[in-house]
Amino acid sequence: MAGHAMYEWVYIAAVVAILIWVGAASWDVERIIEEVPADAETIKVIGQQWFWSFEHADGTKEVNELHVQQDKPYRFEITSLDVNHAFNVPDWTLMIDAVPGRINTLWNMFTEDGEYLIQCREYCGFSHYNMKAKLFVEPAVTEAAAESEPSAATTTTTPPAQQQQSATQEQQPSSNATSAAAGGNATSAAAGGVTLTILDGASIQGNPDYDPDELTVKKGDKITVNNADTMPHTVTNGESGSDPTSGKLFDTSIINGGDSGEIDTATVDAGAHPYYCMVHPYMTGSLTVE
Amino acid sequence: MVLEVKKPRALWEIIFSTHHTDIGLLYIITSITFLMLGGALALAIRAELFLPGQQIISDPNTFHRFFTVHGTTMLFLWAIPFGAGIGNYLIPILVRYKDMAWPKLNAVAFWMIPVGAAMVWLGFADLGWTAYPPYSIIRAPGPAAELWIFGLKILGLSSVLGSINFIVTMLKCKHPDLPIMKMSLFAWSILSISFMTLVAIPTFAAALIMLYTDRLGVTGFFNPALGGDPIAYQHLFWFTFHPEVYIFLLPAVGMLYEMIPKFSRKPIFSYQSGVIAFMLLSTIGFASWAHHMLATGMSFTEKTVFMVGTLAAVPASAMHVFNWVATMWGGRIKFAAPMLFGVGGIMLFFASGAGGVVNTALPLDFITHDSYWVVGHFHLILMGTVSLTFTGFIYYMFPLITGKMYNEKLAKIHWIAAFSGIIIVFMTQHVLGLMGMPRRYFDYLPLPEWIAMNQIATIGAWIVGFSYLLMIYNLLKSSVKGAFANMRDPFAIGEEYYDYRRKEPHKETH
Repeated sequence: MAGHAMYEWVYIAAVVAILIWVGAASWDVERIIEEVPADAETIKVIGQQWFWSFEHADGTKEVNELHVQQDKPYRFEITSLDVNHAFNVPDWTLMIDAVPGRINTLWNMFTEDGEYLIQCREYCGFSHYNMKAKLFVEPAVTEAAAESEPSAATTTTTPPAQQQQSATQEQQPSSNATSAAAGGNATSAAAGGVTLTILDGASIQGNPDYDPDELTVKKGDKITVNNADTMPHTVTNGESGSDPTSGKLFDTSIINGGDSGEIDTATVDAGAHPYYCMVHPYMTGSLTVE
Repeated sequence: MVLEVKKPRALWEIIFSTHHTDIGLLYIITSITFLMLGGALALAIRAELFLPGQQIISDPNTFHRFFTVHGTTMLFLWAIPFGAGIGNYLIPILVRYKDMAWPKLNAVAFWMIPVGAAMVWLGFADLGWTAYPPYSIIRAPGPAAELWIFGLKILGLSSVLGSINFIVTMLKCKHPDLPIMKMSLFAWSILSISFMTLVAIPTFAAALIMLYTDRLGVTGFFNPALGGDPIAYQHLFWFTFHPEVYIFLLPAVGMLYEMIPKFSRKPIFSYQSGVIAFMLLSTIGFASWAHHMLATGMSFTEKTVFMVGTLAAVPASAMHVFNWVATMWGGRIKFAAPMLFGVGGIMLFFASGAGGVVNTALPLDFITHDSYWVVGHFHLILMGTVSLTFTGFIYYMFPLITGKMYNEKLAKIHWIAAFSGIIIVFMTQHVLGLMGMPRRYFDYLPLPEWIAMNQIATIGAWIVGFSYLLMIYNLLKSSVKGAFANMRDPFAIGEEYYDYRRKEPHKETH
């Protein structure tokens, strides 16, 4: 060591100096990032195998879609109801684990409007790679409009097309259910329609999922899909998400637990069509149209 | 000279032997076998990710099983047993004792490895190698998960028994003429990891039992439905496995201390600094475990503490790098295959260390965490530094074990392919992580840049896979048909090679 020790000490001092600089700078940035603005609006984020649900401060709920306003601070309260997930919006470097029994918080102000990807970054089982949601950042309302309306109104302002879509989606089950019932009353020939039930506990791999698994209907029949489970499910045509024709023939989109949806077979070609659940791709069945 | 392959013996004589070179040989052969098996799984994973969509692996569960068993195999059936194997082979020679302190215990420790390995491979669990609850408790299918838990339990016990044996051999059975401060730095590395193993492993051993009883439903340590905390498991897990990173790494560091001075034809720059760096790493290594968990929702104070703990471990690693570079500086370096692998390992050690500093810098961690960046980062250290150095040492030990010489030209082709392949795979994965691709994905979004990066990584992986097949061919062929090595100095570097009959204390003084 003797005579050469000098070089090593200089080198170690340089390394230590760089590390201290990295540590101090990181500490300083993180300290600022973690300061949540007082006026931030809280959005509850819940991860479940394998979908995201969101609850806004005004009680509005969304599944796999999240609509927020541009230039408005949001505080996310993130948790999970089953296994670990991680809430990640790569474009906004938002990333924190969703852990059952804990609530983790993050905040962000989205300064650019657009559509962004929400994904899961913590291994959570079968459909981990497919646990995605969409984040819609809607352009900020003009100052004049904001002044004329109370600030609470901004959250309920009619948003662009996407939110209308999700709104209709939420209303769909009930309206469909009534129309199906009405149809049943009008024509006895429809034999009261056909019912497909998603059984309680279907979200767990290996449990019985659709009842009946193989359903045969006449072209033009309307199928009522009752979700008897507590989890959201879909009935979507195709073998799996990587099937290019998936969702092209019929797709109920998300049906929340306890709700129902409808499939109209008038536009479906005759023949056997496999279907699956987009949230739990191991739930499969087959629909034969005669 | 004890040459296991040179003098033909019945197979059972080697298998049931308790002699340290026989057990060392068994360890080495077992670990190389698992390197190839784990590598095959890695190539299957890369082939599946060559294109988005589902190709060769039938369903996501199978894919998850592949990466779980790949990780478990590479860490516990390649890195750990290989270090233990070389330790078995060399430690008694380096401390000048006739054998390990307890030869039978040594054999028991080795024979637990095939048992644990069989459980891991027959179960083929889908937990991920970290087995985070609640997934591992409430969702992972049995009996694969149970087999994984008990397989790891057995492998952990084997490590502990091996460590006790190493410590006693070095501290109690060392030749009286050999002071501890003249013991080879490779011996120091094994001594450090043996102590670390004794401190680190019991925590995970306890966590495994808790995981098992949680799976049975009789306890709820980590199950939130029963009032438990899944994060508690992560603390116990990383308290073992962050030090374990150094347990994988330090034998490679010790091997570099064996090879670098010899092939540079110069004494080590500073023996004391090497010893101090080992001591620092093996203590400070225990102060940084939760940097694996910065995104689990820890408080700002906790995050700061573990960032500081992590940064504090860096200077010790930097001391090793300085030592190697300063040793090579001005030396008449002979770039035989072992030296090439060693130098490649040092270069990638520097790269992965720099990446590690990025990971721990708090705001940046939330970009890299659980993304492909992290996959690239830890593979760069485990494949780039640890495995490249281990591979160099396989070539370095080849004459001692077989009495023959390997084919130098093939070994150099192996180095070029492995070194460039590793850079292609893992540097690309860093970029992929920055683009936002999460790890452990069976399928990914068909974005053109993601596809391109995945394809480059897959091609790199195939190059690495090919290069290791070349090594297997080289080793098998040379051990049967190779030329006899000059056992005094097989690499023609002008220094004595390992020799049983050496009477002088190990010369590391200058």
